[in-house]
Amino acid sequence: MNFNIEIPASKNELIELLSEYKNKKYRIGAGCTDLIMELRKKPEDDLTVINISQINDEDFNNIKLSNNKIVIGANTNVVKICTNNEVVTNFPTLKEAAQNLASNQIRQVATIGGNICTASPSGDLICALMALKANLEIIDFAGNKRSVSILEFYKGVRITDLKKSEFLSSIEIDLNKVNPKNMYSGFIKIGTRKSMECSVVSLAYHIQLNENYKVISAGLAFGASAPTVIFAYDACDFLINKNITELKNNEIDEFANHILKYASPIDDLRATAWYRKQVLFNISKSILEEFSKTN
Amino acid sequence: MLKKRKLNIIGTPVPKHDGKIRVSGQAVYGHDINLTGMLYGAILRTEHPSAIIEKIDISEALKLEGVECIITADDIDVNNISYKRDHPILKKGEVNCIRDEIAAVAATSKEVAQNAIKLIRVEYKIRKGIYDPIEALEESSPQINKFISGKYKNKNTAEVFKYSHGNIEEEKKKSIVNVSRRFTLPRVTHACMGTSNITAHFDKLSGKLVLYSSTQVPFLYQRDMAHALKMNPSDIRIIQPVIGGGFGSKLDMYPFEPICALLSIKTGKPVQIIYSRQEEFIASPTRQPMIIDIACGADKDGNFTYRDIKIIKDNGAYTSWGATTPFVIMQAFSSLYQVKACKFEATAVYTNNVFAGSFRGYGNPQATFALERIIDLLADKLKISKAEIRLKNANYKNEITGQGLHYETCGHIECLEKVISESNFYNKKNTENGRFRKGIGLASMLHVGGGAKIYRSDGCGTTLKIDPYGYCTIITGSNEIGQGSETVLAMIASEELGIELSKIKVINTDTDIKPWDVGVHASRTSFVAGNSLLGAINILKDKLNNKAKQLLNTENSDFIYQNGMIAIENANEALALDKVVREMHFSEPSELAIASYFYEPLSQFQNKEFKGNVSGTYAFASQAIEVKVDTYTGNIEITNVHTAQDVGKVLNPLLLDGQIHGGILQGIGYAISEEMIYEEGKLLNPNFHNYKLLTASDVPNIHFYPIETNDKQGPYGAKGVGEAPLIPTAAAIANAVCDALDIEVLELPLTPERVLKAINFKK
Amino acid sequence: MQKTEVSKKIKISFELNNRKINMDVKPSSLLLDILRDELGMKGTKPGCNEGECGACTVLINGNAINSCLYLAVNANGKEITTIEGLVKNDGTLDHVQKAIIDNGAVQCGFCTSGMIMSIKSIENYYLSQNNNVKNKKKPNKEEIKKWLEGNLCRCTGYIKIIDAAEKVLINEE
Repeated sequence: MNFNIEIPASKNELIELLSEYKNKKYRIGAGCTDLIMELRKKPEDDLTVINISQINDEDFNNIKLSNNKIVIGANTNVVKICTNNEVVTNFPTLKEAAQNLASNQIRQVATIGGNICTASPSGDLICALMALKANLEIIDFAGNKRSVSILEFYKGVRITDLKKSEFLSSIEIDLNKVNPKNMYSGFIKIGTRKSMECSVVSLAYHIQLNENYKVISAGLAFGASAPTVIFAYDACDFLINKNITELKNNEIDEFANHILKYASPIDDLRATAWYRKQVLFNISKSILEEFSKTN
Repeated sequence: MLKKRKLNIIGTPVPKHDGKIRVSGQAVYGHDINLTGMLYGAILRTEHPSAIIEKIDISEALKLEGVECIITADDIDVNNISYKRDHPILKKGEVNCIRDEIAAVAATSKEVAQNAIKLIRVEYKIRKGIYDPIEALEESSPQINKFISGKYKNKNTAEVFKYSHGNIEEEKKKSIVNVSRRFTLPRVTHACMGTSNITAHFDKLSGKLVLYSSTQVPFLYQRDMAHALKMNPSDIRIIQPVIGGGFGSKLDMYPFEPICALLSIKTGKPVQIIYSRQEEFIASPTRQPMIIDIACGADKDGNFTYRDIKIIKDNGAYTSWGATTPFVIMQAFSSLYQVKACKFEATAVYTNNVFAGSFRGYGNPQATFALERIIDLLADKLKISKAEIRLKNANYKNEITGQGLHYETCGHIECLEKVISESNFYNKKNTENGRFRKGIGLASMLHVGGGAKIYRSDGCGTTLKIDPYGYCTIITGSNEIGQGSETVLAMIASEELGIELSKIKVINTDTDIKPWDVGVHASRTSFVAGNSLLGAINILKDKLNNKAKQLLNTENSDFIYQNGMIAIENANEALALDKVVREMHFSEPSELAIASYFYEPLSQFQNKEFKGNVSGTYAFASQAIEVKVDTYTGNIEITNVHTAQDVGKVLNPLLLDGQIHGGILQGIGYAISEEMIYEEGKLLNPNFHNYKLLTASDVPNIHFYPIETNDKQGPYGAKGVGEAPLIPTAAAIANAVCDALDIEVLELPLTPERVLKAINFKK
Repeated sequence: MQKTEVSKKIKISFELNNRKINMDVKPSSLLLDILRDELGMKGTKPGCNEGECGACTVLINGNAINSCLYLAVNANGKEITTIEGLVKNDGTLDHVQKAIIDNGAVQCGFCTSGMIMSIKSIENYYLSQNNNVKNKKKPNKEEIKKWLEGNLCRCTGYIKIIDAAEKVLINEE
């Protein structure tokens, strides 16, 4: 592994560098935990790593509340996501996904932006952010900003909408319409062990209810069972306006099928497609079953 | 005034004697050695598990700046290694498994060595490999290993072990239930946290070779190395740096070790080879995968009648000590629980897979899994309790088994009773029907507890000295590999000589200094090295007593050693130990306070039929394990592990707990998460990401109940403990899962996917 | 001849165990290699070089990281603590080190440095949370297990290690 490095100290310096490297080979590294592993396996010649971890920018490295939104700087490390009060209170799905990502040591350096841009089909934070219908703010080499929904961001296996000379600046999530106690939100991660797993199947759910348990908003996404993380539109639509406590078994099955129909998993070392489908169906059911049990 | 007392140190939770260096970063592991002028070695391994080597071109690699030496099979004059001498150090003409070594480089830096390896060009003619041992036994299969003696008719048979006792046909007639199954056990690996390593330093002037090696068996290793390199064993000095985990993986000598020595011999400089983690997975040993066909019966009263076992072991391309695991396996089948007749045949078969070595338990986890699963199935058929059938057939004190194992002490029944009552076994009936199902499973194990006489000697030597300042040095043949042997030996010396622990030193790392020992294996170190030390202490005490008698002008030699003093009980006068030593040294006739002793266990060699009392004593254990299975995902949560083990006598409860906990977690890994996944002889998961060692968050509650049977053969009554805890674990878990789900389990590990498949199959 | 890319070295400075270090590093150098091969801190262990085992865990500004996946250039301006830095000048061990010994939590010891650094990071986290707070928060056993998930151990089965961490983090005042 051998590369050159650029270490911008501010977002502006980063923008300048992107302009300078417009026609050169580079990779952006934040926590670099995935990048180092990748370059060890497949070293690249004449590569420059633009190491953004030393950018000293309050907004880029932190989580803020503004205008009914939570704005997470792309360089925010995963530990901050797990422990931030706004996230913990409002978005349990994101907190749980963050908390179960790799190990404490990795969470110290890995960033939310890194997880999003690595674009792994099993990316846990991606999955939770999809359930939350987050928006991504992207800046290009000229400083132009654009916003894209995370639901539109993934184009194929490890392919994103991020173009060369652009970088992910922040992630925005709308605050819930309802009081946190009327929210049903979580993240299910399936693997052999309780820790250190790359999801074999994952499911993020973020459901908001009115006082009568009627669903007024739903976000459901799953990972590791398709070329990208997938948002299950039909499953969300299915729940809207339904009373979540009054679902019958056949409705629960129907709901799970609305998720399962988006799955197109492959056989790999970690599990077969058969297993992923079975489990995705089962855990999809489980979120509604569990709700009736706990409420 | 000194008074006789019961044991003072033995049985107490003394922390690790060598703890401080291990918690402060000061312990020097092989990875930390840096000798002046040292070169870094790297090994080129084959890309294909089965191929003809047509050409090796090292010319480009040789041109690389910093490369000092490259060797291939053509450059070396050596003997084959392994106990069957069927393993060439560097491969010539053909490769037979994915870890095969083709060439090696010594260079001035790690990077240069790695880059040089990449520049070596090898042309292969790829052959179809044989990865299934059953296929390897077919007449049409080609011979895989060309170095075998031809002892067996089948060309791919490496070893066959046959054993029997009793009249199996008679017993079959008496049986009212019969069960037979085929069980398949996976390949798993030790995954020591410190990867394999060696530093070799050949001195051209003296012709002597120093090896800094993490072997578990330094004296056998010295001899093997000498044979490989065609040297005199005494010209080879083995120094053992601190070892980052053993578990049996360092029982054999592997090619990388003589390769490193050869690189040092060729360059005249020290050379170091350290495995990467990937290399560790690919090229360190594994547990034997096995196919076990077992048929068992029981009579109308639930007595076990017969066991008929046929095992095919995947030996891989070469033989290691691991091929001899049937010594242990047949004990489980012949002698765990009473059984009137047993017929056993195990065949180790060459394949193009990596070769299997020895691993904590030495074949016993596989055997115990098969046996204990079958016992549950027999109980089901007989409609009697799984606890009752075990208690009825359990081993007992003074039993001499069909194989000739003599249980002078035996805690089997106590172990079973303890875990049955503590786990509330009889009342844990699975009645739930929801997503999560609970189950409980039982299993026992039998293992050697006082060494195992499979080498010409199973002994250990000790030299003991006390210096004129009252400090004691134990020079022992045995090794510390993390298990705590230094601590136990220091405790014994402290107990017997009344010297405080901080004044006791243990020297055990240098074959030029320490007396002979067969090595760390077979749960033997506390037993054998402990007895050896006690022997040396007795000799030394005789000398000290004589001097003390003279100094005190008494005929009584019934001295008590306490707090650095020697005295007759209740006498007014006491002597300082250091003063007695000084008087020995400095007054006529001068004598050193030093003694040597060699202990050989009373065990016997087994005869050609494998009958005989092979160990000084035997260890027993039972486990009752509770699980909770998620029928939605197939995940197994181990909720409680109850384990009772006949340890003879608890020498140090703190270190004993450590052996129990560590063993059980390895056993749980074997049961539910660990598996080396191969495709056509290539390992697909050579990393911790996909080879799943359990983590701290997977740890269950472990309830340990030591059973003390005070075996008169053991030091203070103790038996070996190291291997036992993992042996019944997978069996008990499998039984618990079957209890929870009413499914059939025929293979390990019980990954979530396998469990879910079994649930679906049942539907 | 093989072309070896020689990248320009970068000047960095940081505090290592309370000692100021100035050095030049290659852009691609990893902290683990710098610590072991250039600064002689061999107590930090190479276990897997892929962020899976935690043997190489060190503290950066009090937080545990895997030094095998940490670019040395990012150490610039930071405070680094390795296992060697926990022992006082007079040879007194840190209470975590002591708890590891007293609880029988060390066998082969290869994971121990990293394990101890992870326990230190838990302690540091709660110290920072409990700054000027009356009802001091403490982790429970399950939280401790979770904190240690990134440190593999093959010898102990973790139980004694968790015991040692509990002693230091829960029972000690």
